Amino acid sequence: MVVRSILARLAKKAPVPVFLISGIGGDEITDRLRLDDRLHVTDSPRPAMILMIAGRLTSDLKYAALQVHDQMAEPRAVVRWSPAERDPAAEVFPHFVAVDAVAAAAAATLAAAAVNTRDDLLAGSFPSSPPLLPDVEPNPWRGVGPWGQGGTGMTGGVPYGRPLPERAKDRDGLQLDQLLMRVGPFLPALPEGLILEVRLQGDVIQDVTVGANPFVEEAVPDSEEEELPAFPGPADLAPFLASLRVPVAVAELELARARHHLRWLGHALRVHGLAALGRRVLALSARVHSQGAGSSNALGSAEVVELRRSLERNFTLAWATRGIGRLSGDQLAALDGGPVARAAGIERDERCADPAYLALGFKPVVYAGGDALARWRLRLHEAEQSLRLAETAGNSMTTVTGTAEGPTGPLGRGPGPSSRLLPLLPELLTGLEWGDAVTTLLSLDLDLREAALTPPGSGVAPAWAW
Amino acid sequence: MEGGAAALTILVVALGAFLILKGVGDVLNPPRSTAPSRVPFSGGLSPDTHAWNRYHVRYYPMALLFLAFDMEMVFMYPWAVVFVEEGLIALIEMLMFITILLFGILYTWREGAFRWS
Repeated sequence: MVVRSILARLAKKAPVPVFLISGIGGDEITDRLRLDDRLHVTDSPRPAMILMIAGRLTSDLKYAALQVHDQMAEPRAVVRWSPAERDPAAEVFPHFVAVDAVAAAAAATLAAAAVNTRDDLLAGSFPSSPPLLPDVEPNPWRGVGPWGQGGTGMTGGVPYGRPLPERAKDRDGLQLDQLLMRVGPFLPALPEGLILEVRLQGDVIQDVTVGANPFVEEAVPDSEEEELPAFPGPADLAPFLASLRVPVAVAELELARARHHLRWLGHALRVHGLAALGRRVLALSARVHSQGAGSSNALGSAEVVELRRSLERNFTLAWATRGIGRLSGDQLAALDGGPVARAAGIERDERCADPAYLALGFKPVVYAGGDALARWRLRLHEAEQSLRLAETAGNSMTTVTGTAEGPTGPLGRGPGPSSRLLPLLPELLTGLEWGDAVTTLLSLDLDLREAALTPPGSGVAPAWAW
Repeated sequence: MEGGAAALTILVVALGAFLILKGVGDVLNPPRSTAPSRVPFSGGLSPDTHAWNRYHVRYYPMALLFLAFDMEMVFMYPWAVVFVEEGLIALIEMLMFITILLFGILYTWREGAFRWS
């Protein structure tokens, strides 16, 4: 008991190890949680003590959440916040700490609840959450196979209940094994909600299948009379979606764009191993958020200029992104504009058609490389440009409705930018090494919540049908 | 014998430390694992195939090259011992040896052995 209490006292002094899961309406809250000093956000559920769920889980996401929960070591607990009254997560987690707060205060309340729950777990006054999935091997050991193979050893039978990989020719013509790997929707290195089925030989991708969007279920309107989808989409997009219907302040749009690019940059830096810098950038994006529209100065553009300069001097980052993930001409044409196309030299931006922007002297930022490096640089440049536009725009309002240039591409003309990018992934990622594939995915800035705003086509397989 | 006793002591102490730490850990937090908790974390999905698989070790030409040039260094040690006595002749002989190896590098380079992927 003495040892336990000493260890518990020491553990209470450390930040709470949490694994974050972001559902619908939780995208901005998880960013704020990453900035909270009381928490240590882990990249794997293994070292985490608290499973923190921000937002509402769809039915597809809840099974993955259960798997993540069971992969955490005990003692463990679930702390969740949901914007909705009805939440499927509540039905699958029998014991959890529910946080009741408005969205603006959710992050701080969640962090406080995580600290309290951790302390209670260590003191033994809060029971550890039991395993929730059945303790059954998916493919039990079958021993000696029908052709006499197997039994014992590395090449025998179905070790640990799973068959050995299939074989196929590799790029040198050798007949080698293909490792089938399913990743997502909660892998921190990938865009939230993205599910990929990847066949690997060594670390080279031979084939990619993109899984169904787990957020799609919620995008279907309840009835045909409803004008807007039941699912509001990512918080970043709100002003851009509003500008499709009514005039919106240019400053508000540009602040939202800068914030989106900085949030993207913060996540991308974290995945590239620059976690401390990523955290600083996330903090900067949160400050841009708190400025609001109409502020005349101190929007952080000077800091963004400095950040851009320092990142352009970063040889490691340039080395990791140069020449990676280039799109072909046909693929770029399918995008119909957006930052990814502008990073490949295509000067297309919906803002050029808006007199309000032209009056501010707006010219789209265009880069020539077309690779991941060009996309990084373009977004940094656009973030800086957007903050400058927000500073000078005053009370200027947009004059064009029906279409808008969102932070990831054009909105209001058919499928959204991420919906256009997702079908390109198999061709784009095949042949890349896994690390380069992650770099490419990051540089595309895919948003599965935004893709879910486009009504799903018929015949889409659910994410769990594999 | 003294060395053997010391090694045995280290082994016993290390083994004892391991057993004590593992025992205390297991008493404080008894290990419990279920089938879903044993699968590798890949973002909330479980794998269908096992991760044991054969793949092309692309760095093997580099390992071979390292061995070749490592042996070259082995030849250089006795050469360095007699270098002062032999003088210019030894220098010329070593230059010939290095030149032959240099052609080997250029050939390997042309064949693409230094390309990682």
